[in-house]
Amino acid sequence: MYTIKKVLLSLSLLGTVLVFSTSAYAACKVHLGDFDWDSANVHTAISQFILEKGYGCKVEVSKGSTTPIMAALFDQQVDIVTEVWRDNLVQLMEDNLAKGNIIELGINTPESGQGFYVDKPTSDKYGLKHVNDMKSAKIAALFSDPEAPGKGRMTSCISGWTCYTINLVKHKVYGLDKYYTNFDPGSGGALDAAIAGGFKKGKPVFSYYWEPTGLMGKVDLVKLKEPTYEQGCWDRMTTVVEDIKKNGPDVYKPTCACAYVDMALTKAASTKFANNPANKPILDFIKAYTIPTALVNSSLAFYMDESGGDMEETAKNFLSNSNIWESWVPSSVARKVKAAL
Amino acid sequence: MGSQSLSHSGLMKKNKKYWVPLCLTVFAVLVVVSYRSAKPRYKPENLSDLLSDFSWLGNWPKWLDFPLMQPLNAVFEWLIKEYGMFFDGINNFLLGAYSLMKDFLVGLPWPLVVALVIILTYFASGKKMGTTIMVGFCTFFIGFLSPRYWDKCIMTTCIVLIGMLLCLVVGIPIGITMARKPKFRKSLLPVLDLMQTIPSFCYLIPGILLFGLGAVPAIIAIFVYSVPPLIRLTDLGIRLVDKEVVEAADAFGASKKQKLWGVQIPLALPNIMQGINQCVMMALAMVVIASMIGTRGIGDEVLLGLQQLNVGMATEAGIAIVLLAIIFDRITQAYGDRIQEKTKPKKLKKK
Repeated sequence: MYTIKKVLLSLSLLGTVLVFSTSAYAACKVHLGDFDWDSANVHTAISQFILEKGYGCKVEVSKGSTTPIMAALFDQQVDIVTEVWRDNLVQLMEDNLAKGNIIELGINTPESGQGFYVDKPTSDKYGLKHVNDMKSAKIAALFSDPEAPGKGRMTSCISGWTCYTINLVKHKVYGLDKYYTNFDPGSGGALDAAIAGGFKKGKPVFSYYWEPTGLMGKVDLVKLKEPTYEQGCWDRMTTVVEDIKKNGPDVYKPTCACAYVDMALTKAASTKFANNPANKPILDFIKAYTIPTALVNSSLAFYMDESGGDMEETAKNFLSNSNIWESWVPSSVARKVKAAL
Repeated sequence: MGSQSLSHSGLMKKNKKYWVPLCLTVFAVLVVVSYRSAKPRYKPENLSDLLSDFSWLGNWPKWLDFPLMQPLNAVFEWLIKEYGMFFDGINNFLLGAYSLMKDFLVGLPWPLVVALVIILTYFASGKKMGTTIMVGFCTFFIGFLSPRYWDKCIMTTCIVLIGMLLCLVVGIPIGITMARKPKFRKSLLPVLDLMQTIPSFCYLIPGILLFGLGAVPAIIAIFVYSVPPLIRLTDLGIRLVDKEVVEAADAFGASKKQKLWGVQIPLALPNIMQGINQCVMMALAMVVIASMIGTRGIGDEVLLGLQQLNVGMATEAGIAIVLLAIIFDRITQAYGDRIQEKTKPKKLKKK
């Protein structure tokens, strides 16, 4: 018994020593929320690298689908999320801002796009430029859904992303639901694989997608035009969307629908984290963090083609080939980051 | 067993002098290949630097990285280009079978389906009332949990059944061959281990590229994941058949074929049935994972519940999967028990 106690005691002592020795600021701990798509992964990797090497923080990353990660942020379990698709979550964000659960930290990528895409060869051949061009049985047959005879298939968002419900409402408003299934691919990886597989086999592709993404740089997709974005219309649609998310698709009410706005992606932090004065330097850094869309795209291309699937390598590549990040942090931090590259 | 290990070590001894140098050469080639294919910026300027600067001993050096990913990708690309038609053929066949079955079962009125399941259980279990009532109750309870689940459970059942058929057609002959040819067994066992341990996403995502989203990659995944126990138990069952019984068959002058069909398979049937039972259970375990690649069925309700943080929804759908598992399990187990009773020597029973 005595020896067991001794062993336990020495182990716990050793543990404390290890914890203190690994980071200069033992008090600095950041819990980042990450999502299951690659642009979010890039931002998380870059901020993680700067936080770890520059600020000496202990960084923990949780990765998941939109709903659980955002819920963890609202619940103060996650400290910072570096890429929020704000306009898809308008109501949720505003509710929680009003409740004081989170604060917003400005823009992370100034432009992004999302919408319905068709592969270029098919679009050229059949003149598919607008969502209305899709509304015919002949066109739908091109994208036939093998599991729903007589209908075409549009590969949509996964059901955990808000855009799945947005697409569902859009399909009904545009009258696409008569011709196409709003097909949930089940996971982000499966959505990418479905598009990539279509191109590899030379088959027509009709899918929801977005940029910046690594895949977008490799395949030739044409974005279909939709009614132009308009704030009032979007807000009315979002009300229906949130209602369906809570109560199921049966509560659908006819509404307005329009294109996704080319929105800026934002960042957010939990109030608990933000209100801690010790975290101010980190908040200042995250607030200053902004990467132009083109740079995000090139980072994603590097990630897909050269890094061999290594996000840390991608972050290092960004930090060594660009110097915009040096203006986000004090020069002492920048020096430490550079030394670690 | 003793004679086997003996012959095994004898084999090793015979080839030992070739084995060691061969392995070392292969290893050296792999290291050289990894060094040569590494990007220049990761490599030291001169090879002699490695002997003067030992920093590469700290962290695993980037030049010591065997490039397996690129050739695998190239092989995969080539597969899609050259054999795309072949995979489309498999896809159409499996999808056709699945759609036919699904449309038929979904089209039937639900009371009829419940009745059919009850009748099936009644005869499969050898007219056992307890099992029959329980299975009937479970079947009813699936729709009773949520009317949405009924059609989804039928879709899942169809996927599982088609995966199972594939397993039976491929697995049982392989299991029989394994039992009769020890060399074949030795070479196949590592493959079975690989199939059981490799993470399912490793073959699900390529499955999408080859077959598209939906039911077919799920059927393939179910096959890969659940055929090993069937093969193993078939093999075991046949090897466990009493030596004396086989010798007796030999003494009566039975041909190999007669021995197999008349003696070995009937006596191994309880084990084979256990294999089928395990196969179904593993197939059902695959259902939720399969829904992550867009397979429609009861699994996507669980996934949706998970993604929307809806604990009630996920648990409710989880219970439906358990009910489905109970139904499959009871029917196959009861049938297995009945066969076991049949194959028991009658005289022993009377004692």
